[in-house]
Amino acid sequence: MGETFNSLMMGFSVAFQPEVLMYAFFGCIIGTLVGMMPGLGPLAGISLLLPATFGLNPIIAIVLLAGVYYGAMYGGSTTSILMRIPGEAASVMTCVDGYAMTQQGRAGPALAIAAIGSFFAGTFGVIGLMLMAPTLASFALRFGPPEYTALLLMGLFVLAYMSGGSMLKTLAMAVLGLLLGMIGIDVMSGYTRFSFDIVELGDGVGIVPVAVGLFGISEILLTAGQVDPPKVQQPTLRQLIPTKADLKLSVGPIMRGSLLGFMIGIIPGSAHIISSFVSYGIERRLSKHPERFGNGAIEGVAGPESANNAAATGAFVPMLALGIPTGPVTAVMLAAIMVHGILPGPMLIQQQPDLFWGFVASMYVGNVVLLVLNLPMVGLFVNLLRIPYAYLYPCILAFCILGCYSVSNSTMDVWIMLVMGGVGYVLRKFGYDLAPVALGLVLGPMLELSLRQSLAMSGGDYAIFVQRPIAVTMLVMGLILLGLALKPLIFKSKDWRSSVGLDKTID
Amino acid sequence: MKNIVKRSVFAVMAAVACVAVQAQETFPGRAISMVVPFPPGGVADVTGRPTAIALEKVFKQPVSISNRPGAGGAIGNAAVANAKPDGYTLLMALSSITVIPEADKLFNRKPAYTLDQLAPIALISADPVILVVHPSLPVKTLKEVIALSRKQPGELSYSTSGVYGALHMPMEMFLHAAQLKMRHVPTTGGGPALTQLLGGHVTMSAGGPAAITSHVKAGKLRPIVTWGAERHPNYKEVPTFKEQGYDIVYYIWAGLFAPVATPESVIKVLRDGVRQAVNDPEFKNQMAKVNSPINYLDAPDFAKYVDADAKRLAAVVKVVGKVGP
Repeated sequence: MGETFNSLMMGFSVAFQPEVLMYAFFGCIIGTLVGMMPGLGPLAGISLLLPATFGLNPIIAIVLLAGVYYGAMYGGSTTSILMRIPGEAASVMTCVDGYAMTQQGRAGPALAIAAIGSFFAGTFGVIGLMLMAPTLASFALRFGPPEYTALLLMGLFVLAYMSGGSMLKTLAMAVLGLLLGMIGIDVMSGYTRFSFDIVELGDGVGIVPVAVGLFGISEILLTAGQVDPPKVQQPTLRQLIPTKADLKLSVGPIMRGSLLGFMIGIIPGSAHIISSFVSYGIERRLSKHPERFGNGAIEGVAGPESANNAAATGAFVPMLALGIPTGPVTAVMLAAIMVHGILPGPMLIQQQPDLFWGFVASMYVGNVVLLVLNLPMVGLFVNLLRIPYAYLYPCILAFCILGCYSVSNSTMDVWIMLVMGGVGYVLRKFGYDLAPVALGLVLGPMLELSLRQSLAMSGGDYAIFVQRPIAVTMLVMGLILLGLALKPLIFKSKDWRSSVGLDKTID
Repeated sequence: MKNIVKRSVFAVMAAVACVAVQAQETFPGRAISMVVPFPPGGVADVTGRPTAIALEKVFKQPVSISNRPGAGGAIGNAAVANAKPDGYTLLMALSSITVIPEADKLFNRKPAYTLDQLAPIALISADPVILVVHPSLPVKTLKEVIALSRKQPGELSYSTSGVYGALHMPMEMFLHAAQLKMRHVPTTGGGPALTQLLGGHVTMSAGGPAAITSHVKAGKLRPIVTWGAERHPNYKEVPTFKEQGYDIVYYIWAGLFAPVATPESVIKVLRDGVRQAVNDPEFKNQMAKVNSPINYLDAPDFAKYVDADAKRLAAVVKVVGKVGP
């Protein structure tokens, strides 16, 4: 413990060097701005900035990129809350209740809670990273394809609880998402599926253009279709600050979200995306008033926002402790230190203590910077809503197109976004909930791949799922969840949905 | 009909060549764009960036990197194959450039590009891969790997960066040459493939020296044999497949290409530029930092190299055939 403290002090001595501090600050600002661009998320942000770090020293490079990373994670929530445009997959759930709050004139509290939740989750994550990185990392390595399959199945079962509408409509949307996820090259065999000879579709349909289209563009279209244009909001100062009741409601979701997000975040792979979905499902399940979810429940912002920020920090555990790139973002960050001749690996913490501890300390600093930077900015951001829709929406549309295009310089992504905007518009007119589409699209390909990888490992023997303790535990938990979700369908008994008047018919 | 099309294509090409000849004295007269068909941070990117900086110094013109990732490199490769052949659009491709059209052929797909749409300019770097096993596997030599696999046919498993990918090809070469059967667990990239091996979910994998070195030093992976023609300078104790009696060689290389119709005079300027660039001390220094050995070959030799590699890999793709259903 004393040793950890000494190392941390050494880390702070690195992080408080004026130059490092300055870059951490810059990183957070750039990240927040990038995250606020519709369609541009953390990955796009740090990929665009990576070349600029090649000339810096490795500590500054990684501090700058980390600042961009969590700045963008946070910035994504701003557009989700204010304009229903998710900057990246992890903020899809924030759109649902955050935007509902904005429509009720409560954008201020939503943004403030997102900032506070992110700060708490980020700090919690850094403490976890600092104290337990090597232990957790070796645990994370035990997550092979069978464990991953079990985890994703659990995530899918959460779907049943997620949506506000009827179970059938939820499942229909989840299936639509799964079907979209079928497009692209099959990793196991090399076949291209449903690509119609369009090379770009070989990679499948990206989550970002789909999410921006389904949520953002459809919102713009729906607003345009209203007879009376929505009233321009004039928030007063008092409306910006969360009330005591808001804070009280948010404490639980923030703590649960932080723990859940961190645990999911350390698992190698892209599973961290599901942390915000799972957190939302849990909060709704635990809530005494689940009917408030989808209609501006502050817990629906606090939980998922904390979860995705904790997951972002958790992802650094295997990266720093083992030197393995666990996802696209950490792969880029590893590249940033590799170009400086530092070989990431299990010895990184011993061989480069100032890099590791400087990084950890800079994450404490970065989280404070984000909070200090963003809480006062809430007022400014909310004032964006004062802009009349006739000017605001064309600008947003232009930024959506720019953002989508710039991620991989692909016009195909822009088309996907626009088509999905139309699809989203029609579906919302018919009262479908769109979050399950995003979840299906994210989970489908991951689940298929890990299931088939597991079977490739075992030579086609399904027993692999019951021979491995972690996998079997998660599967049993998932099956219990599934049983609970199916109960009302089978026994025609009352689901919580009908008991709160959300769903009249379940059949 | 076909003839007319062909003739008009030639006519257009000739016209383009004429325009380019007029412009040749001034090439490069403006900024050059180097397409990297992979995301930032990959092998192609960390090779492309120092090359671009060194070329800037030679040409006194900006050379900018443009990442066009997607479809395992096919999108960026195709973009340059169909670009205006004026020398201002170049491609930093990896060895996978020869495999993609072969896989397209196998699946009867309309190919995104073909190799003869691209003119090789220079090979920049080449790195052999090394066979590594999880330390829990009771083998230390290639002979023991083969003996164990024969004892448990189809029981040992290996992870790769994807089917027909840069790490799948060498494994199939080995398995075919030694007549072995193993379970193949494809993943979505070099990083995930390594993670599966480190977690012990598979027993072995082919890995690039830069990716595996720190894990080998920490005792988390055991190197067995290399696909290089000679022993790797950082792995003097690891024998080559050739020494062990198997005539298989495999390198992951990065090289510069231009659209095939680029005028000869422009290609010559580019070749001379690259020759100077690879001798730039700053370039050498940067490549050493990322553990990427410079392996320069000028256009004629590089063309032969690509040709040999394409033949070798096409044979492997045919042997593997269609996987799955």
